Amino acid sequence: MPEFTPLAAGLAIGLGALGPGLGIGFGVGKAMEAIGRNPEASGNMFLPMIIGLAFAEAVAIYALVVAFLLFGAIGG
Amino acid sequence: MAEQQGHHGASIAPHEIFSLDVPGIGDVPVTNTLFSSWLAMGVLLIVAYLATRRMSLVPSGLQNVVEAIIEQFLRMAEQTAGPKRGRRFLPLVATSFLFILVANWMGILPGYAEGQTPWLRSANSDLNITAAMAIVVFFWVQVSAIRAMGVVHYLKEFLVPLPLLHLFTELGKPVSLALRLFGNIFAGEILIGMMSSLVPFVIPAVFLLFEMFVGVVQALIFAMLTMAFLTIVTEHEHEHEEGAHGHAEASHG
Repeated sequence: MPEFTPLAAGLAIGLGALGPGLGIGFGVGKAMEAIGRNPEASGNMFLPMIIGLAFAEAVAIYALVVAFLLFGAIGG
Repeated sequence: MAEQQGHHGASIAPHEIFSLDVPGIGDVPVTNTLFSSWLAMGVLLIVAYLATRRMSLVPSGLQNVVEAIIEQFLRMAEQTAGPKRGRRFLPLVATSFLFILVANWMGILPGYAEGQTPWLRSANSDLNITAAMAIVVFFWVQVSAIRAMGVVHYLKEFLVPLPLLHLFTELGKPVSLALRLFGNIFAGEILIGMMSSLVPFVIPAVFLLFEMFVGVVQALIFAMLTMAFLTIVTEHEHEHEEGAHGHAEASHG
């Protein structure tokens, strides 16, 4: 069923972005809450937040790579 | 127009632009991404040479700028890993940051990834280059772990509490390092290619600015994750050597 490969690529990145999107949203939300409570500490929070977000984002990147591989399989 | 600007970027494999005859090895194919990574290294080397050509105790000009960047990094390293290990990790961490940053920013200059077989293409849009850096980090971390806790303790980590669990988490680190950087830069390249073929007026500039931000964030993430991995595996040595100092710091915080 090669005609469904574009659909698979779209679903791979679409569903794959869902989880990381939620994760990044929760993470940044909590960081903003923390900065609101203690604005002086915002400099210390930046780096751990970025590293945490990188882990969440990596999952979306895996999905993107899978989508590109599927897209390459149909000669996009 | 669209043929020139948009569609070439969709190929994951970089183009081979020429091959180099290395004595003893034979023909080595040189891709456009590899060529661009050499250019990035060249830029870094030239800046390093110019900054250290006339070094003075009271820095001025370029030396001042470079010193400010390195001192910022040293502060960050000492904050994360402690004063002794921070200085030891600084060369690898700061070098990978600077190389990735320069390569990413050079990759969005005009002339990169244009035409059917471009001579220049953002170095980190090639999985081979990001994987090479991730493998270097992987071996550096493993060797630091063995040196910090000894061979017996190092091997015990792989069996306790669950066999194979530690092996997969260790192997997952370089895979995610390589794929994250590659995916971000490759996706950015395609995004800019698509945008400039769809709306070739003003709009791409916004995405170029966004790609500059992505470039610095990804470089920072690669460097900081390297630092975090190194700090975690040498924690044992830290407790051993600076135990009293570490506890005193912990109670302050």
